[in-house]
Amino acid sequence: MKLPSLLRRTPFRLTLLFLALFAAAASAILAYVYFASAAEARVNAEREVRGEMQVLVGIYDARGLDALNKALIDRSLTQSAFLHLLLDEDGRTVTGSLNQSPIETMEGDTQWITFPFTETDAEGRVRRPQVRGVQVRLRGGEMLFVGRSLRDTEAYLERLTQALWGAMGIVLLLGLAGGALVSRNLEKAMGRLGKVVTAVQEGDIKARVAVRNSGDELDEMGAGLNTMLDRMEASMASIRHAGDAIAHDLRSPLTRMRAKLEVALMDAEAGKIDGVDAVQLALDEADSLLKTFNTVLAIARLQAAAGRTPDPKVFDAADLASDMAELYEPASEDKGLEFSVEIERGLMIEANQPFLAQALANIIDNAIKYTPTGGAVMLRARRRSSGEIEFSVTDTGPGVPEADRERVTQRFVRLDNSRSEAGSGLGLSLVVAVLEAHGGRVQLDEGPGEYGGFGPGLRVALVVPSADRP
Amino acid sequence: MRILVVEDDAEAATAMVRGLTEAGHEPTHAVDGAFGLLEAQKGGYDVYVVDRMMPRLDGLGMVETLRKDGDQTPVLFLSALGEVDDRVAGLRAGADDYLVKPYAFSELIARVEALVRRRESGSVATMLKVGDLEMNLISRAVHRAGQEIDLQPREFQLLEFLMRHAGQSVTRTMLLEKVWEYHFDPQTNVIDVHISRLRAKIDKNFDHAMLQTVRGAGYRLEA
Repeated sequence: MKLPSLLRRTPFRLTLLFLALFAAAASAILAYVYFASAAEARVNAEREVRGEMQVLVGIYDARGLDALNKALIDRSLTQSAFLHLLLDEDGRTVTGSLNQSPIETMEGDTQWITFPFTETDAEGRVRRPQVRGVQVRLRGGEMLFVGRSLRDTEAYLERLTQALWGAMGIVLLLGLAGGALVSRNLEKAMGRLGKVVTAVQEGDIKARVAVRNSGDELDEMGAGLNTMLDRMEASMASIRHAGDAIAHDLRSPLTRMRAKLEVALMDAEAGKIDGVDAVQLALDEADSLLKTFNTVLAIARLQAAAGRTPDPKVFDAADLASDMAELYEPASEDKGLEFSVEIERGLMIEANQPFLAQALANIIDNAIKYTPTGGAVMLRARRRSSGEIEFSVTDTGPGVPEADRERVTQRFVRLDNSRSEAGSGLGLSLVVAVLEAHGGRVQLDEGPGEYGGFGPGLRVALVVPSADRP
Repeated sequence: MRILVVEDDAEAATAMVRGLTEAGHEPTHAVDGAFGLLEAQKGGYDVYVVDRMMPRLDGLGMVETLRKDGDQTPVLFLSALGEVDDRVAGLRAGADDYLVKPYAFSELIARVEALVRRRESGSVATMLKVGDLEMNLISRAVHRAGQEIDLQPREFQLLEFLMRHAGQSVTRTMLLEKVWEYHFDPQTNVIDVHISRLRAKIDKNFDHAMLQTVRGAGYRLEA
């Protein structure tokens, strides 16, 4: 990986930011320790210098200049931690470990000073530690200087600074390496997602992320991406299927229309029929085609609504059921079917009334269509013990074999023995789409069994949630 | 009847103007909502037929503006949008009826005529009379040539609608919408069964059949 590209990676940039913050914090601590230690060393040195000065001034006061001089000589023979200098009243050096006073002009009787002092240590290395000292004018006019080197503190601070810089260097190195590593790992993981996204962009809808179920969030994201792609693929497949099915289903009525028009043209040319009749037939075919289109469109829109009821209203399902019963009863009786109704009162639901009416109409219509004369159709609307509202239509027709019950709700599926009846094969698909958009469901069961030589019949139940708040 | 057709699809407009002229009306065509609005403001129209989606000013905007100006001329919306929400939005904007494309021309004529008739008839009448058929809206009694006819409540409503639109074609969809107040496709001709029951009651014992089937359109009650 080239450095510039590494620098553009988010985890690496975050690492750098974190390291910069760390370095700033470490520098601040170092500065604080440094200045606090230096200040403390100075205060300590001053206290010690003051003590020494007291002792020496005491000697001078008690026993005079010579005694002081002697004390200073003694001190220069032993390894004293102090620097001394005694000047006579004319400023000439009497005794001392300094050649010359660091103070050029005295203002007042006492003066403090810090100055660099050049010394050579045991190994012969020249150093210039700071010295903190004080010069005092004695009673006889002589000057006494006492100073204390800060070399120990300086050495300590130097070691401390070195250690901290070193530690910071190590942390920075480790941090950079860690950042690069995290960045690369993340990059790999993101790369897996990215590869799938690119593949899908390029048209491979079947591309999926390898999921390890490790529970980390990138893995979960991959799983989410997979689920999303699965759903997309499924809906694309269903659209493709619907497209194929429409094309297939529209071919037969179109072919039929063409044939009828051809026959009508021949008949009209031969003067056998009225041209108007032929055109009327063609119009009927065109209308049924349009109806098929509209139903497919309605199903697609309901499915796209994905469980959200379009334009919902709260109303009494009992009213809907009795209206439907009233609407269909004459048609049922005309076919010689016994039509019975059983509706509980007060079944409030929140639904799209036209769509639900359509769903109910479709299943009543199916029952009437497929039940042979002499049979019976029953419409019920009731509240289930679960609180849901159920519309059910039971007929005594041939029913649907259990193995086919799932299949008949699919678009354009028509069972072999139903092909002689008019219909698009979309009725139940629309019912299912309507109920799913209402958070409900469709249940197909066997009817009452043998009845008047037919059976076993079919019971179709539409179950929708109640609008009554519990 | 003077009809203002506001439609941006030239071909559809030409067909509509021709069909309306043949049906004995006087159509005027405006190519979009803005021209439609100008034309409508000249006044003198019995009904507006307005396409919902047009460039410049769309149908919704045009009808809303007209209604705000106090123009109460009936409006029939035409739309390729068939969703329930679209119908609701259209009616809310001030349209009186809503027809989804593609439609049968007979359906358009029937609805346009029904809109105008509704305005003319008002609702103050207590008696409806078509030929020798009489309906008392207060006592809810129906007589034909002096003979009392016993109708179920829905049959009464069905006959009332047909009598209010006597002489006009009414389609099955219109009957389902106006008499049953449902907007859906009843699959089979359930309406026909209701009509034939009504017909059995009002026409059976009489020489002249009043309730006629109009091929390709629906039904018509003739005196």
